[in-house]
Amino acid sequence: MAKNLDVIEQTTNELTLAERQQKKPKRKKKKLKAVWMYTLLSIFLVVSIFPFYWMFIGATNDSSKMFTNPPTLLPGDQFMTNLTNLNESIGIFRVLFNSLFVSGLYVVIALAVCASAAYVLAKYNFKGKKFIFTAFLLSMMIPYQATLIPLFQMMSDFNLLNTYFAVIAPQLCFPFAIFLLRQNFLAFPTELMESARLDGASETRIFISIVIPSMRPALAAASIFLFMTQWNNFMWPLVVLNTNDMYTFPVALSSLMGLSYIDYGQVMMGVTLATVPIIAFFLTLQKQFISGMLGSALK
Amino acid sequence: MKKVTGLVSMLLVLSMFLAACGNSGSDGEAGDSNKVTAWAWNINVPVLEEAAKKFKEENPDFELEVVEMGTDDVYSKLTTGLQAGGKGLPDIVLVEDDRVQGYMNAFPDAFVNVSDKGFDEMKDSFPSYKTELLSKDGAMYGFPFDGGPTGVFYRTDIFEEAGVNAEDIKTWDDYIEAGKTIKEKTDTAMIGLDLNGDDGLYRMMLNEQGTFYFNEDKEVALTSEESKKAMEVNQTLKEEGLVKETVGWDAWISAMVEGDVATAPSGAWLYGSITQQGKDTSGNWGVIELPAFEEGGNRASNLGGSNYMIPSASGNADLAYDFMEFFSTDKDVQLSAMEGGLFPSLNTIYDNEAFTKEVEFFNNQPIWNLFATEMENIPAVNYTGDYAVAKDEAVKAQSEIANGKAIDEALKASEERLKNRIQ
Amino acid sequence: MNKAKTFPYFFAAPAILLFLAFTVYPIIASFVLSFQERVAGEYVFAGLKNYTRLWNDDIFWTAMQNTFIIFVVQVPIMIILAMVLANVLNNQLLKLKGFFRVSFFLPAVTSLVAYSILFSIMLQEEGIINTALSYIGITAIPWLSDPFWAKASIIIAMTWRWTGYNMVIFLAALQNIPEDLYEAASLDGANKFKQFFYITVPQLKPVILFAGILSTIGTLQLFDEPFNLTGGGPADSTMTLGLYIYQSGFEYFDFGYASAIAYAVVVMVGILSIIQFKIAGDE
Repeated sequence: MAKNLDVIEQTTNELTLAERQQKKPKRKKKKLKAVWMYTLLSIFLVVSIFPFYWMFIGATNDSSKMFTNPPTLLPGDQFMTNLTNLNESIGIFRVLFNSLFVSGLYVVIALAVCASAAYVLAKYNFKGKKFIFTAFLLSMMIPYQATLIPLFQMMSDFNLLNTYFAVIAPQLCFPFAIFLLRQNFLAFPTELMESARLDGASETRIFISIVIPSMRPALAAASIFLFMTQWNNFMWPLVVLNTNDMYTFPVALSSLMGLSYIDYGQVMMGVTLATVPIIAFFLTLQKQFISGMLGSALK
Repeated sequence: MKKVTGLVSMLLVLSMFLAACGNSGSDGEAGDSNKVTAWAWNINVPVLEEAAKKFKEENPDFELEVVEMGTDDVYSKLTTGLQAGGKGLPDIVLVEDDRVQGYMNAFPDAFVNVSDKGFDEMKDSFPSYKTELLSKDGAMYGFPFDGGPTGVFYRTDIFEEAGVNAEDIKTWDDYIEAGKTIKEKTDTAMIGLDLNGDDGLYRMMLNEQGTFYFNEDKEVALTSEESKKAMEVNQTLKEEGLVKETVGWDAWISAMVEGDVATAPSGAWLYGSITQQGKDTSGNWGVIELPAFEEGGNRASNLGGSNYMIPSASGNADLAYDFMEFFSTDKDVQLSAMEGGLFPSLNTIYDNEAFTKEVEFFNNQPIWNLFATEMENIPAVNYTGDYAVAKDEAVKAQSEIANGKAIDEALKASEERLKNRIQ
Repeated sequence: MNKAKTFPYFFAAPAILLFLAFTVYPIIASFVLSFQERVAGEYVFAGLKNYTRLWNDDIFWTAMQNTFIIFVVQVPIMIILAMVLANVLNNQLLKLKGFFRVSFFLPAVTSLVAYSILFSIMLQEEGIINTALSYIGITAIPWLSDPFWAKASIIIAMTWRWTGYNMVIFLAALQNIPEDLYEAASLDGANKFKQFFYITVPQLKPVILFAGILSTIGTLQLFDEPFNLTGGGPADSTMTLGLYIYQSGFEYFDFGYASAIAYAVVVMVGILSIIQFKIAGDE
């Protein structure tokens, strides 16, 4: 709880600072409104991050502290013990590397695949365009549980089980990313493309040197979704990966969930570690992400 | 144009790279003939590895690769592999008692007949309830491993405070009376139950009476006398206010180690969870046999336990069999399982010191002895291939009863639905 | 042959090929499977049997009803909450915007393992949520063991997880509404509420539609929350279509039937999306 109090105190300080910049007559009303705003936001803040705080508490305490009543709400001293145990159970660095490698490669390739498709869907007229786009969108409606078995069968027929290719291939063409990027490409001024054409630039060149650079925000938005998808992907990697050294983070974490033996300290340490990279990724790209979403939603 | 083809070929090259960077071929089919792959969950892994080390002394070329995964994950992968016609499966897989017959029925011929390979000779070393579970048309399709002989785990401190002697509890009526006294004297619930989510207690009581969701002829038996009696116990506990509702595994364990409930009828494997999650409660525990339905009646039952099976798709079934036969019958291997918190079903080791010793955590009670003597009396029952659906219906009936429906009515409705669902 | 004609196909080719191989093929395969049943371990053609069985399956209809209730209650609550939050966060005077934004978005990136463990502990009858409620005089709520509250728990958990995500989408769109629209309105004497309903909401319509359709797909395939928190109980009161597909396939080994349910879901998502488009009144 101490942490949340800090946050509230901090926001109140900010509040007075903001207030000082206001002109006097409006001050009282504005101040009241600001109090309202911060109260509302603080409530949501506590609700949103409390489970994360608790996750961290779990990571620094012994497994037996997970279920005490009243609940343990202060960090303990088992941080290193849990970290060491977790590392012994699943090999943190290896699975972290695997996950970063798989997610990173996936984002790069999927972005290339989706962006080029989205671009032509937005900016060119060709036969079957509408059909292709609709088909992409419709495919989002199929529950994944239904396609799991045929996909698995296919991967095993091609002898691709236990490869990262099998992990990422099915989702390289990611309809949601195509949709999001297409909406952004629609906004790109066609005149710019025309004038480049008159200057003799090839279509590929227009795409790579003129369109792409101006689409950074949209690409950032798409990569956040792609990264999130792959980083948290569980069921499919579980099914196709067959050795512990190939495991990605969520699959490795799940291997801690035995029948009657669960070391919650380790599990919470694991989920804390698994959350960090994705927050970092979001923080890095969030500014562009916001404007990228902007492009997609309003068109 | 060139650049487009360039882009496409770049993608292709990348995909090739990706394909290359996975190490394929480690799934049994193509594997080298000395290597066996196993799927198992956490506490079972060290036992397998220990066994492999010993097996290697006689077979120096032997190699075992254990792929560790969560319990539910084993089933997800096994089901997917079997569904795809035996693809990507290991040579050995660990399967719990209540899942075994489901797999054997849904995927006939998908597991190696171990009787053909000579395992029948070892049959006597295991309790009959285990060997029957793994049998179909007279042949066995797996190796019995650990068992879940049941008992009532109880908090000695709470019993003492209430002045109740646990050893006096012989029948379920006694159990309910004890619960009332405990409730009155200490304001503690007798038992934690997840009435809407799990029916463990009901299943234990059915098994104790020698029946199950299905009777000896594999017919649906949710409305049997035994079933009604079991549901009545459930309901009396609830009506007398002796039940603390604990939803899910985590809450149940929590209630026990926090002293919010006085007892927990369960399988022997609960030992591991209590000792791990309730380190501070050492010395405050005891175990008695499950109460009987009438004085002098059977008190042996089973909950949980697991077995090893060899998928027929294994490219190395003979070696896998040799290893598993060794694993299942070697005394030292099974004793190492015991140390790891698994209760072996191999009965030739029950005279070992590990089973007769006093357990400090349990106030120096020789609890393993109690479980070991129980093993041979556990009635064999029919789980059948429709266990999962039947359990779903039984839990539903239990939930409806807890919410006020009459027992007869709820069980009858569930039985009808179950018959419909399995046709 | 002029380049302009072939170029689009080349550029779309990787996506289309991947789509055909890894999306279309499995969809067709599972569609075929939905007309098959398992007899002695082998799949054989069964005509419409799975679909007629579906039609007469009480659990399927219960799941459908639950999914519908959750959909009707959860999606509007979440969208309204997300819009309110986005509006507050869009205020120029507000400090620490980035901090709030990230904090609200966090639940969407949480790992499922943590999510399920934490929520099931918090929602126990003596859990932290009921403890907190007791301070404001509310008696313990049976979150997971009562049919009504179990649905409520699922809705709360989903709202916790996805509100921030939708908020970010709205926030982005809000920043694009021209300031002078509001200025003109306040000159005409429109108060904040009127401004919200007559300017903000219409301006946000396409985004609301977008978020609505994503949520529709998410809700109809809803699986994580019931699987982890309630297992579909008590007595099927939180059984959802997503969970029923999983159980039919992975627990009852009937993938033919599971596929049939999946296609029922597809049809419904399609219908609901069309309705949403119609209500929104544009393409």
